[in-house]
Amino acid sequence: MAGKTLAANRLRSTLTMLGIIIGNASVILMVGVGQGAQKYASQQFQSLGTDVIFVITGTDNARRNVIAPPNRLVLADAEAIATQVPTVRSVAPQINGSELAIAGNNTKRATLIGTTDSYAIVRNAEVSSGRFFNEEDIKRNARVVTIGAAIAKELFPQGSSVGQTVRIRGTSYEVIGIMSEKGAFLGTNQDDTIFLPITTMTNRLTGKTSPYGVAIGVINVSATSNDNVDAAQFQISNLLRLRHRTSDINADDTFTVRTQQDALEIVGNITGALTILLAAIAGISLFVGGIGIMNIMLVSVTERTQEIGLRKALGASPSDILTQFTIEAVILSLLGGAIGTAIGISGILLIAAVSPLQAGVSIGAICLSVGVSGGIGLFFGIFPARQAARLDPIVALRSI
Amino acid sequence: MITTNAIAPISQSSDAKREIVRLTDVCKYYGQDDTLVKALDDVSFVIKEGEYCAIMGASGSGKSTCMNIIGCLDSSTSGQYFLDEEDVSDMEERDLAGVRNLKIGFVFQQYHLLAQLSALENVMLPMAYANVRPKEQKERAATALERVAMGHRLNNRPNQMSGGQQQRVAIARAIVNNPVMLLADEPTGALDSHTTAEVMELFGELNTSGITVIMVTHEADVARNTQRIIWFRDGQIVNDRLSPSDLNHVL
Repeated sequence: MAGKTLAANRLRSTLTMLGIIIGNASVILMVGVGQGAQKYASQQFQSLGTDVIFVITGTDNARRNVIAPPNRLVLADAEAIATQVPTVRSVAPQINGSELAIAGNNTKRATLIGTTDSYAIVRNAEVSSGRFFNEEDIKRNARVVTIGAAIAKELFPQGSSVGQTVRIRGTSYEVIGIMSEKGAFLGTNQDDTIFLPITTMTNRLTGKTSPYGVAIGVINVSATSNDNVDAAQFQISNLLRLRHRTSDINADDTFTVRTQQDALEIVGNITGALTILLAAIAGISLFVGGIGIMNIMLVSVTERTQEIGLRKALGASPSDILTQFTIEAVILSLLGGAIGTAIGISGILLIAAVSPLQAGVSIGAICLSVGVSGGIGLFFGIFPARQAARLDPIVALRSI
Repeated sequence: MITTNAIAPISQSSDAKREIVRLTDVCKYYGQDDTLVKALDDVSFVIKEGEYCAIMGASGSGKSTCMNIIGCLDSSTSGQYFLDEEDVSDMEERDLAGVRNLKIGFVFQQYHLLAQLSALENVMLPMAYANVRPKEQKERAATALERVAMGHRLNNRPNQMSGGQQQRVAIARAIVNNPVMLLADEPTGALDSHTTAEVMELFGELNTSGITVIMVTHEADVARNTQRIIWFRDGQIVNDRLSPSDLNHVL
C-alpha cells in the first residue's frame, strides 16, 4: 500500500530520497577513503620494516618552535649506537641535501641522501639494476651514486643508465645502480632521490657542519628483532643523553628516537581523525537528507488530507494512519540508503581501480549508514505521521 | 412548525426489527456564549433495520452535523447515540474506527476513491482495516463489485471510469464489510440525471435486499425514492416520518 503511494509519486519520491542517497553514498565513500588511506599508510610503513628506529636530531617541540636544534646528532653518535647498543643490528646515518643533477642535456632537481651501505638493509631499499654502494666505496670517497627510478627516467630517457655519468655541482659521479620504484611516501619520494656514500657527500658537497664532527639529520637503526625495538629505543635514548651530556634527569632530550610503531600510531591518529572528519561531514548531509524527508512527508500529509479522512471513515484507526505514514518515510529512506550504498560502493571500487588507495568497502560503514538512514526515516517520519493520525476525519473529508 | 421533535417511538415496537440508529436528546453546539451555535438541538429519532430514509433540510439546518454524528465521524455535545443497539456516544477514537469499519458503509458525493488503486483494491480497503486475509479480501471485493454491476472493471483505476461507475465502486466499497447501514452523503450530487436514476435504482435494490440506507440529500427527486424523510430545520427535526408523497406540501 505504502509502496503504491510512493510509486504513484515517483518524481517526488526520488527527489525526497536524493538527500538520503547523497548522504549515504558520501558516508560510505568518505569512510572507505579514510580507511583506505589508513591502510595505505600502514602498508607503506610495513614495507619499510617494522624493526626500524629513527633517531632524529632535535625534538618535535624544538622543531615546532623553529629553534635550530642544539646538540645536533653527529656521525660519531651513529658509530656509538652501532658499537655500544647490543639490541641494534644495523645503523645507517643519513645526511639530506638537494641539488641539481645534470646528465647530457637533461637536468633534474634531486633529493640527495648521503648514507652508508647499511641503509639498503635498514630501510629495505632494493636496486632494480646495478648495485647499492658498498663499504669500499665509502672508504674510498668514491664518486658513485645509486639513483631513484624517476631520476633515471628523467636524466637517461634512452634507458640503461648504469655506467653513465651524472654531474652534481660540477663534479661527475658514476651511476652504479638504480633503485626499485617505490612511490612517494610522507613527503619523501625515493624515486626522486640520489644516494651517494656519506663520506663523498660530506667531503664534496656539505662539509663538516658541527664542531663535533659531521652533523647528520637522521640515524636509521634496525633492531635485532621486532621484540627488541622497545629495548633498543630505550638504550639508544640513554646512550645519546650520556653523549650529549644531558645529565639533568628532568632535562628534555635533544633528539627524538622514534620507532615504526610510534610513527604508525601517529599516522593512524591522523588518518583516523581524517576519517572521522569526513564521516562527520557526510553525516551532516545524511541529517539534511532526513530533514528533506520530513519536509516532503509534511507536504504529503497536507496534500493527502482527504485520503486520510477517507481512510479514517473506512475504519482506519489513528495508529493505522501513523503506521502507514511512518512506513512510507522509512521505505523512502531505506530505499535511498540502499541506492546511496550502491553508489558509495561503486565509487570506492572506482577509486580503488584508479588510485593506489585501496579504499575498503567497510561492512560496518554500510550497516551504520543503512541503519542510520532507516532511523532517520523513522525519526523524521514520525512527526508528519502523527500530524496525519491526529487529523479530524470530518475536517479531512471536507477539504475537497 | 408542523410537528415537535416527537419522542422516539420505542413503545411502538410492534415489529420486532432491530434498531439500527437511536438518537436520544442529541445536541451539538459550536462556540460559546454569544457565538454559541446550536447545530443540533435536542434531536431524537430511531431508524430500524431495513429502512430507507432520507435526511433533508436546507443548508445549515443541521442535517450534515446529524449525518456526521450518525457516521461516528463527530461526537455530540450531549445526548446519547446507540448504533446497532450499542452506545457509541463516549467511545474512544480507536474504537470508533472499528465501529465505522464494520457497521457503517459510507458513500460520498465525490466518490473518494484512491486514485492510485484499482477498483478492486479500493473495495478491498475497508477489509484491510478489518484484518481480513488478503485472499478473502480479493474474493469478497470481486463479489461486491459484481453486485453493483462493476464486475468487468476490477482492474480499472478511478480515472478510467465514469462518474457513475466510480460511485458504483464506492458503493461496493461501502457494502463489502456487510455494515448495518449505508450512509450516503449527497450520493448523486455529482451525477447527471440519467446516472442518478441508475445509482438510485442500485440503492433501491440494496435496500430491498435488506440493507438499511440513510441518505442525506437536498434533492427532492432523490428523496422521493426513499420510504421516509427526516426533515431538519434550524438544528431541530421538523418531521421525522415525512412520507415522500407529502414532500410537495413541505416544499
